[in-house]
Amino acid sequence: MENARRTHAVLTARRAGLIGCTRCGRVHLADEHHCRRCGSALSSRDVGSLQRVWAWLIAGMIAYIPANVYPMLLTQTFGKRQENTIVGGAIELLDHGSWGVALIVFTASVLIPIGKFIAIAYLAISMRTAVTIRGHGRQHLYEVVEFIGRWSMIDVFVVAILAALVRFDFVATINPGIAAVSFALSVAFTMISAQNIDPRLLWDAYEADDT
Amino acid sequence: MTDPAPAELDVSTAKPSFWRNLSFVWLVPILALVVSLALAWQNFSDRGVAITITFQSASGVTPGETTLRFRDVVIGTVEHVTFTEDLTKVLVRARVDKDVAPFLDDDAQFWVVSPKVSARGISGLSTVLSGVYIEGAWDQEQSEARQSFEGADGPPLVQPGRAGKRISLVTTDGSLISEGAPVFFHGIEVGRLERPRLTVSSDAIVVDAFIEAPHDRRLNSATRFWDTSGFSVSLGGAGLTLDFDSLASVVAGGVEFDTIYEGGLPVSAGHVFQIYPDEPEARRSLFARSTANAVTVAAEFGESLGGLEPGADVTYGGLKVGEVSTISADIEDSGDGPKIRLLANLAIEPDRLGLPLAAGKAEVLDFLDSAVADGLRARLAAANLFSSALIVELVEIPDAEPAVFLRDATPVPVLPSVVSNLPDFTATAEGVLERINSLPIEELINQAISLMASIESVASAESTRAAPDAVVALLEDTRALVNDEATRALPGDIRAAVADLRAVVAELKEGGTLENLASALARADAAAANIATASEKFPALVEDLRAVAAKANSLEAEELVAAATRVLDSADKVLGTDAARDLPPSLNAALGEIRATLADLREGGAVENANATMASARSAADAVAEAAEGLPDLSARLEQLVARSEALLAAYGDRSAFNEETLAALREVRSAARAVSQLARAIERNPNSLLTGR
Repeated sequence: MENARRTHAVLTARRAGLIGCTRCGRVHLADEHHCRRCGSALSSRDVGSLQRVWAWLIAGMIAYIPANVYPMLLTQTFGKRQENTIVGGAIELLDHGSWGVALIVFTASVLIPIGKFIAIAYLAISMRTAVTIRGHGRQHLYEVVEFIGRWSMIDVFVVAILAALVRFDFVATINPGIAAVSFALSVAFTMISAQNIDPRLLWDAYEADDT
Repeated sequence: MTDPAPAELDVSTAKPSFWRNLSFVWLVPILALVVSLALAWQNFSDRGVAITITFQSASGVTPGETTLRFRDVVIGTVEHVTFTEDLTKVLVRARVDKDVAPFLDDDAQFWVVSPKVSARGISGLSTVLSGVYIEGAWDQEQSEARQSFEGADGPPLVQPGRAGKRISLVTTDGSLISEGAPVFFHGIEVGRLERPRLTVSSDAIVVDAFIEAPHDRRLNSATRFWDTSGFSVSLGGAGLTLDFDSLASVVAGGVEFDTIYEGGLPVSAGHVFQIYPDEPEARRSLFARSTANAVTVAAEFGESLGGLEPGADVTYGGLKVGEVSTISADIEDSGDGPKIRLLANLAIEPDRLGLPLAAGKAEVLDFLDSAVADGLRARLAAANLFSSALIVELVEIPDAEPAVFLRDATPVPVLPSVVSNLPDFTATAEGVLERINSLPIEELINQAISLMASIESVASAESTRAAPDAVVALLEDTRALVNDEATRALPGDIRAAVADLRAVVAELKEGGTLENLASALARADAAAANIATASEKFPALVEDLRAVAAKANSLEAEELVAAATRVLDSADKVLGTDAARDLPPSLNAALGEIRATLADLREGGAVENANATMASARSAADAVAEAAEGLPDLSARLEQLVARSEALLAAYGDRSAFNEETLAALREVRSAARAVSQLARAIERNPNSLLTGR
């Protein structure tokens, strides 16, 4: 009931017969096809965006699998070779009692990427179906996903720094594993995926409610 | 509620547009998928072949960390360590590279490499830091690959695929041979022994040895192996001999081999050699080959066989031709009741008798038959001078009682025998001892003692002691004489006299007498020459002149003579002075004093004393020297005697108290003799030492 009341209050640009230029932001009437200021193509909704979102999202998810299966760090100390996956590294940190670091690693490498997959998938699905959450929840979710994307790279940064610094030959050597590359790819793909979301589509649900 | 229906319709109509609108961006996930799958596939296909190795213990083996290595290159990793079902062994699961997996066949061996310190060095030191690893070894040939292996305790002595020859060595004493002990050839390590094992059938110990490639060619049928482990100390004719090889062989044992004679036949792998206790034994073994095709004959002895044991040599002309195989008694039923015969079975080797190697029994018996007809007999003999062990010797006694070779006797042919001359041996030994006994050792010692006593009495006699004093006194007197005032003044007087003489001569020179004389003579000469020239022309004048010259001559000569006389007179006067005249008396007096002193000395009897002392000392020394001349011989003899007795007694084996005492006594005698001879030599060299006590 409350939801319905809210949606009624929404007036989308399309319904108002207006199209905003995605590049320069100028608003045109619906019958315009090219921006009069910057010349870019105008469309009320980016019809291909969902496809791209899904494509990048799936690519990101695929890349995330080897990122967790293969070792992230190849550590060699005194001739002993050790391979750590992301989760394995976090568990090892936990064993050493570094709760804080373990939590950061786990959050940055597992929780955030997976949360992002779920969030993007939810947003993408919700654009097709009339699933809505309270208020402007989806809009907030979209902003959060877009913002947080770059911070998932924290693991890759750690690996890159360690691999560059720890080079003491026999005593200790750290090398990045395959997982580092695929994790970086996964993060990059999900970021692209999030960027491909056309936020205007989020409003269509309210529109649909009205019709 | 009717909403879904139009929506579905929309989708179905939009289908062609879906394909048309299909974005290229879908290539990205497809690519990602392909890459991921390819990665997974590559990883899967690269994953090594799983093998399992069972170990008795797996100390230090850690799953995921312990590596599998081949020639020190990592070829795999241990994945899992668990137990066999009955918990008797440790099961190590590992993955090895696909490339090497086909080589892992029956000959593959695995062992855990850990730091190890042994007599042959330190190995596996690198594993101290890196942790243990599992090393594998296999040959270069692929055959049916296996997945489960039995782990070894240590590295195989012979790496599979190594060229060389594996042979077997047989010994009866395995205590000095250990696994991994080196095999030497002229002191160079050329192989290793493997684990010794007892043969099932007998007490012999068999140990396999692997001789590495270039050296295995040295093995042939003439090769003999002997034990070089430990060290041996032997006391023999050449003195004390300490013999040991490398430290490793002392600790771990080892065998050495050499080719004893030329012309050995090549041997194949698996050939069985015997290990001899030492090198001399191995070299002697040239005459100790197997008794495989030996012919057994018996010899009946009418005397005690005590000391004859199975294995004792059977010799012919001093060379070993066989062995005593068994000794048995046989009851023979003769006319007057049963009679016990003592039989020794002799295994005689045909090739030792000079018969061809392939000679059969019949040929050997033929030979013996004819030889017995020529006087061949079996006889017991002592194995050596000092032991009571017996051997059987085959001797040819031309004038022996006729006997026949009982060729058809059962169970074996019987050789005729003659009575041995063994008692003689005992007699000889006894004689030796008796001779030792009858040696005048005590007398000798008594003489030595009395000699020493007389030397001592001479040295300690009063006169001997007084002699140095007397000599000292003589020297004192002499010194006093020299110090005497008159003696000292003597040279001064003489010097003064000489100075006077010199002054007289100088005066003569100053007086110009000689110059005058010389000039006069010169003038006379010139005059004479003038006269001579003038005389040729004027003879008359010559006469005058000559007369003048003669006159002048006579005049000058007179003067000269007078002057000379004057000079002499003055010289006489000089010499006639008191000082000159005093010289001889004072000299005389000095000499007289010396003489008197010496006379005093002579009267005092000191010289006689000294002379007598010296004479007696000399005679004592002479006596000692005479004795000493005999002593080296004596001590040499004693030495020999002691050595011989020692050997003799040693041969008697047990060191009874009697033996010990006898030995000790003999050693004392030897040392006493040696001391006496040393003393004598010292006195001979330096008789003064008797006087000076040094």
